[in-house]
Amino acid sequence: MFDKAYRQRLEADLVQWEADGVIAPAAAASIRNALPPLSPGINIAVVVGIVGGLLIAAAFLAFIAAHWTEIARLMRFAILIAGMVVAGGLGAWFASRGRIVLADLCASVGAIIFGAGIALVGQMYHLGDDFAAGMLLWSIGALAAAVLTGSRGALAVGLVAASIWTCMRVYDAPDVLHLPFLAVWLFAAALAFAWHSRAAAHLVAIAMIPWWVATSFRFEFDGAQPSFVLANGAALLFGAGLAIAAAPSPRALRFGSVLSIYGAFSLATAAFLEVTTVDDIVRFRAGSGAGQPLWAIVCGVVGVILALVSAGITRRAGEVLAACAIGLVLLAAPVWPASMAGESWFAYAALLSAMLCLVVSGMLDDVRPRVVAGWLGIAGVIAGITWSVKGSLLRRSAFLAAAGVAAVAFATALNRMLPRVQR
Amino acid sequence: MTELIASVTRFWQRIPKAVLFGAAILIQCVLLVLMVADRMQILRDGREVTLQTQPVDPRDLLRGDYVVLRYDISQLPAGRLTGKPSGTRNPLVFVKLAPGANGLYEAVSVHAEPIAVTAPEILIRGRVLYSCGSTSPIFCDKLTIKYGLESYFVPEGEGRTLEQARNQQKLRVVAAVLPSGRAAVKRLLLDGEPVYEEPWY
Repeated sequence: MFDKAYRQRLEADLVQWEADGVIAPAAAASIRNALPPLSPGINIAVVVGIVGGLLIAAAFLAFIAAHWTEIARLMRFAILIAGMVVAGGLGAWFASRGRIVLADLCASVGAIIFGAGIALVGQMYHLGDDFAAGMLLWSIGALAAAVLTGSRGALAVGLVAASIWTCMRVYDAPDVLHLPFLAVWLFAAALAFAWHSRAAAHLVAIAMIPWWVATSFRFEFDGAQPSFVLANGAALLFGAGLAIAAAPSPRALRFGSVLSIYGAFSLATAAFLEVTTVDDIVRFRAGSGAGQPLWAIVCGVVGVILALVSAGITRRAGEVLAACAIGLVLLAAPVWPASMAGESWFAYAALLSAMLCLVVSGMLDDVRPRVVAGWLGIAGVIAGITWSVKGSLLRRSAFLAAAGVAAVAFATALNRMLPRVQR
Repeated sequence: MTELIASVTRFWQRIPKAVLFGAAILIQCVLLVLMVADRMQILRDGREVTLQTQPVDPRDLLRGDYVVLRYDISQLPAGRLTGKPSGTRNPLVFVKLAPGANGLYEAVSVHAEPIAVTAPEILIRGRVLYSCGSTSPIFCDKLTIKYGLESYFVPEGEGRTLEQARNQQKLRVVAAVLPSGRAAVKRLLLDGEPVYEEPWY
């Protein structure tokens, strides 16, 4: 995605270095030749052509819709099948000519037409309205198309349909974990891994979020705090991503890196949600119980262990701090007092320290998204503490002042300990 | 592991794209056909059950060519299920139907699991729309149940007549019901005469 920007920067640098005499012209030419050619991507003619195709397709759909009820049922079914065949046929043609993006688009359109087909067949044949089952069927068809055609778009359609399915099932049965979605997710993750595709890895990472959010908010048992359950999910995603990236494989590195980035942002979001919602907005706890089910706690602990395993393999200090960040966020939950038992100073301190560890971890490992996640987490936690609706404002200002002094003292000590960068 | 993935990828790339795209379309077509075939099996093998329709709120607008259907068996007392845990918000239930003197099937009892029935009784499967309970879902004392027979698409302009007949309780539905309890609309009767017959496909 950023290849073109990198090439432009590199070209500008090469010209500058040649002018400054840093490198010889022959060296610059060698560097240019060493890079593979840029993929042609989509040019303007193709873009205009796609718009034209979409307009024709929309006109065709509108024409069919205008005469839908007059068309015999079998003919309607045949039109649906024909739509899918045309999309697939075009996709195969584009793929054979090396136009991968357009082939991907056709496979995606085919998957969408398949979804429309499920709805229309349900309408034509008066089928019972189990919407969730329809979503599952759509997901299966779209994922099958993704496997066979390598289409990232079809994968996206399949994951969206699966996410809707799982959210509906979670809503329907809030006391039961909807584990079948995990089977679908693992399948999609294996696909993204095999494809060695960053786009697919992003899709898979995003697809995990609806299940965790739905499960956190619908899992109804006494004293549950959704943000604690979310934190465990973020911990598992982050730790698993780090562990996968530590494996000696470029595929694992790419896939794991993407997962760990989403894990880092999820951890920061969970920290912000804990500060703003625990005992304030979502539910009040009478006792300071765990506030989260055992399976969620196990997920969180596994996340910490995986992060430590990754640190052990890669021997990177940043990953140790990442494990500390995960552990501190998880530690906030058990030390959080019940709503009437006082304010959550230890929990606030744990969350602030966790976000600081996240920032430092990103800086040490040179992973910018982790740094950004950490900074956003710090901002969110401080804002949440400052504007919390419960408790004494004076005590909170004292806490924030003490935390600030501690941070400055720590920074001073670090400054003396770390070697200065020579300029 | 990496070598295995690389060898599978190489093998996959040798397969012509037309074959892969064709296989994808075939799978999706098969899934659609299976939807229709499943319903065809109900119509072909199911026992016919005539149900009396109930008026629906007259403020409900006809949704294009789509008639909302409600039955005498759409709302039933839960009986022995009242207060029992339902497991999910919209649990499946099995309603035992028996024919009345007028040939219309009426509900006898509601069960959470399938039970054995002897002819002419029959078991129909439905899904409860609402559950009670604050901490975990339980069966309410009155159950609103959907059987998959609650909507019927007709050609445009013909729905209004059916709606009026439904609200005057002149409309009856003949459903095909499998031994498993799954049902599908087979025929619509207006004043006892068939007005719509569902073809198998």
